[in-house]
Amino acid sequence: MNPALLSLLTPLATAILMLLCRSRAAVWTIAASLLSLVAAIAALYQVTTDGSQLIHLGGWESPLAIRFRVTALSALLLAFTALIHLLVGLYAARSRHSQTRNTDYWPLSCFLHASLASLWLSTDLFNWYVILELLGLTAVALVSLAGTKAHRAAFNYLLLSLAASLCYLLGVALLYGRYGVLDSLLLADMLEADHTTRTALLVITLGLMLKAALWPLHLWLPPAHAGAPTAVSALLSALVVKGPLFVLWMLWSQVAPVELGRQAGPAMAAAGVAALVSAGWSACRTPHIKTLVAYSTVAQLGYALLALGMLLRWGVRELHVALWLFVFAHGLAKASMFLAAGEMQSTLGSKKVSALRGATQTVPVAMFAFAVAGGSLIGLPPSGGFLAKWVLLQPLLLEPSHWPWALGVLLGTLASAAYVFRVIALSFDRAPPPRPDYNPDPVAQWLTLLPALLVWGMALGGETLILWMSGVAY
Amino acid sequence: MSTTLFYLAIGIGLWLMGLHGLLATRQSIILVLAINIMSSGTFMVMVALATHSDPVDPVLQALVVTGLVVAVSATALALRLAASRRRRTEDDAT
Amino acid sequence: MVSWTWLLPLAIILSSLIPGLLIFSLKERQEKLRTFLNLTGALVKMALVGVMLYGVSNGVEFRFSLPFLPGGGLLLKGDALSLQFVSLSSVLWLATTVYAIGYLEDSPLRSRFFGYFSLCVSATVGLALAGNLVTFLLFYELLTLATFPLVVHRGTKAALRAGRVYLVYTLAGGAVLLMGVVLLHTEAGTPDFVPGGYLSGMDSEGNFSSTVISGLAGERDFTLTVAFVLLVAGLGVKAALIPLHGWLPQAMVAPAPVSALLHAVAVVKAGVFGLVRVVYDVYGIESVRELHLNQPLLWLAAATIIYGSVRALEQRELKKRLAYSTVSQVSYIALGVALAGPLAATGALAHLVHQGLMKVTLFYCAGNFAETLGVHRIEGMNGIGRRMPLTMAAFTLGALGMIGVPPLAGFISKWYLGLGALEVGQDWVLLILVASALLNAAYFLPLIYRGWFAAPPDEWPEDKRWPALHPLLGETHWMLLLPALFTAVLSLLAGLLAGLDISPLAWGQLIVEREFAP
Repeated sequence: MNPALLSLLTPLATAILMLLCRSRAAVWTIAASLLSLVAAIAALYQVTTDGSQLIHLGGWESPLAIRFRVTALSALLLAFTALIHLLVGLYAARSRHSQTRNTDYWPLSCFLHASLASLWLSTDLFNWYVILELLGLTAVALVSLAGTKAHRAAFNYLLLSLAASLCYLLGVALLYGRYGVLDSLLLADMLEADHTTRTALLVITLGLMLKAALWPLHLWLPPAHAGAPTAVSALLSALVVKGPLFVLWMLWSQVAPVELGRQAGPAMAAAGVAALVSAGWSACRTPHIKTLVAYSTVAQLGYALLALGMLLRWGVRELHVALWLFVFAHGLAKASMFLAAGEMQSTLGSKKVSALRGATQTVPVAMFAFAVAGGSLIGLPPSGGFLAKWVLLQPLLLEPSHWPWALGVLLGTLASAAYVFRVIALSFDRAPPPRPDYNPDPVAQWLTLLPALLVWGMALGGETLILWMSGVAY
Repeated sequence: MSTTLFYLAIGIGLWLMGLHGLLATRQSIILVLAINIMSSGTFMVMVALATHSDPVDPVLQALVVTGLVVAVSATALALRLAASRRRRTEDDAT
Repeated sequence: MVSWTWLLPLAIILSSLIPGLLIFSLKERQEKLRTFLNLTGALVKMALVGVMLYGVSNGVEFRFSLPFLPGGGLLLKGDALSLQFVSLSSVLWLATTVYAIGYLEDSPLRSRFFGYFSLCVSATVGLALAGNLVTFLLFYELLTLATFPLVVHRGTKAALRAGRVYLVYTLAGGAVLLMGVVLLHTEAGTPDFVPGGYLSGMDSEGNFSSTVISGLAGERDFTLTVAFVLLVAGLGVKAALIPLHGWLPQAMVAPAPVSALLHAVAVVKAGVFGLVRVVYDVYGIESVRELHLNQPLLWLAAATIIYGSVRALEQRELKKRLAYSTVSQVSYIALGVALAGPLAATGALAHLVHQGLMKVTLFYCAGNFAETLGVHRIEGMNGIGRRMPLTMAAFTLGALGMIGVPPLAGFISKWYLGLGALEVGQDWVLLILVASALLNAAYFLPLIYRGWFAAPPDEWPEDKRWPALHPLLGETHWMLLLPALFTAVLSLLAGLLAGLDISPLAWGQLIVEREFAP
């Protein structure tokens, strides 16, 4: 079997099996993530040696068929998804504070994994609709695991996700009505910059921006991500918002006519800068730990949006690399940060940022994980976030006329430094006497550190990674 | 052709109505209804576009059927969450 | 045969990094093991630096590189300039470690303190050994991260406030520096540091050629100027050039060993060292002159010298006075760099070491007064020389050196700076030097007078911290006293023996010969 398909089917099969038999769910899920990771790496190897390949499901030919396409990027995303699931799964299985040990978390996270894997492989607009719905439904179900207190956030999340999907679907219907094709690879050669196409792209973009919580359509994200159980927050921030971003990127950089892209680019980039600044400001103001981390997700997505906008405007190849490096670095760092935030929150027994006073003494390893992950979000060298920023800044600084955008990156850096160090500065304060139920879990704290170490480890092979990513086809 | 346009207009009208409902109300049940009206609008647009070609495009019809399945399951989940939310507010009130 | 040379730069960094990481994992009461790790690390580092000194003076090349970014990998390189800084850091680290062990005896959270302390030195040494701008930037940011916990170590309100101010300044500076580095990278790539500057040997297409940049395109000039401003602004924060010096006087709330290290080696010196690198090894004196950038830098440095001294004169708190004195004294180095002549450069490079030795002595002494007798303010120093003669003697040596009294170290560097100013025809700089010396005298001589000749209070407070002291060195804990005496003697020797081949001055001349070679 094709390793990419294996990487997709492993979590899917595990999820279905788990509906029948629920014993040792955590072990099975972790094993499935591991197998999926291995398969994804095999797929990556295959793609780099043989080039991208098309898989026709069920043996149909296009335009009837549903095609999967394995490119270097989709294989990398498969591996990334499996890796994050593995790391988060380890934490969720081990931590005494994870709230998800004996719940429906395990089958649902496998479904989430499978949905994401098929999203990366898909090329069909309607297929993406179905997958985005699956992703949304699974994510909502995962958020509601936190108990009835999270149901309000889950409900709002669901409604917004459905509304966004319907926006997207309307756009897809318009495109199909105009061109009679749903496969994005076929559409790429056909699209013209007429009114129907513009309207369709606008509606689709709005839907996807809402789903990906891109500024200014991000207001649903902080309550949903902050209210979810810790492991779920990590998955949502690290992976789920990247799904619609992927579709948006495919659509604009591969399918949409270039002149439309040139017009839309600056608007997107401006929204990106606005996200960096405004969400960064919100993160500095919020009184709750997990809300702070959630706002940081909105802010960091601004970098991706900025890269996408500039990519559409100038068509510089390196910006593909910058965009995806941001996604990878943010995913790892944010997984670590959410896990650390959740672990600290449940060990210290309060959701407030102010409860982290003296956290370097009470929960040292988790606090260290938070700081290390935060360092990558700020883009301090030598972390994955720094690599991404380095690649992004080069085209921005190439010509004096582009420099104002670089100022946006500078502002973003300062904003992220402000909210990360807001927490770190507090953690060096003197710790209050511990609560009577203070019961730290050192192993779980070390597990939260693991993704953050990986994102700093990215820098070790930084040159290879960047050169490889600039070399592959997009 | 004019019938197509008529249904198309109705579909888009329904979609916009649903969107308005979504933005204007805060009651859970009405919100769920608004989403359903929005999806009916979208499906209507798709069905209208299907009649656009001759013979009627089977792909769009198939898509609508798939879309209906998704919409029904999403509605079920939404109703479940809305119900628990309501129970919680009642608990809080007592 | 040559296989070990790549290892040495890495080993110098690891010799403090590994003990640092180990110390983090220690329990609070494992005091002996912690002290052992600290001292072993410091001694091993000194030994390794000694090997490297010997190697570099014999022309051996030490390079360690790691592919990190396309066109700008992680590169550690031992050259004459980096060794000037590395040797200073490793000697002062040893002294400060001994001092800190005594100073923090029985205080809480020592594992955390010494862990970050070692990380801080690792970052400083890495910064000194950095072979290109990207690597420099990396360690520059790491230094910020490692010093922040030290500044806020006491956890008091004032410490946390100072820490916040420190972060705002340094992180913003780091971000600006990053912009400068990337801008320069898009223009010219990130080659290794080259004596004489790699931009000087490059034409407008970025190719290396023998023609010096005379016929550059206007846009390239503009880009290079902007990049220079960004770099100087980013480095100026740590170098405490006005108006970017605001964090330094606040940061003196940190424990005395931290202040000593911050002011003498780690942070402030990192900024100035970066300036030296940028002017000499990136742009090159030629380009800086062509772009008319050295004159504004010179004015800025001169203004900082005078401003720092005037503000120091106003301070009644000893550590604050010393902090403003640092603002002033460090800018001597920037001044020497901006004068852009070989003699001034020699003075600047010698002052890099001299200022470190003198300032560290002064901070040790201030810490001793505070810890032993609770004296924080200048008024409390009356007659302190009778109670603590050795500390006061060390303080006097440091202070006289700062003023520039011959034959102390400070005199040597100022002499060369003055000669350098005359050499390039900037005679007005002499006035600045004289004015600053007078101001230095005005804020240091009263302290010396009070310490030796003013009438002491009727009774010194009971020394509660160390009731049973060593009979011979009985004025304070020996671990506090010895480092102060050690660095005071070093600063005396650096002046007396400036003619020897191993003096900081001679080493500065060696660097300058390589930098200004045609």
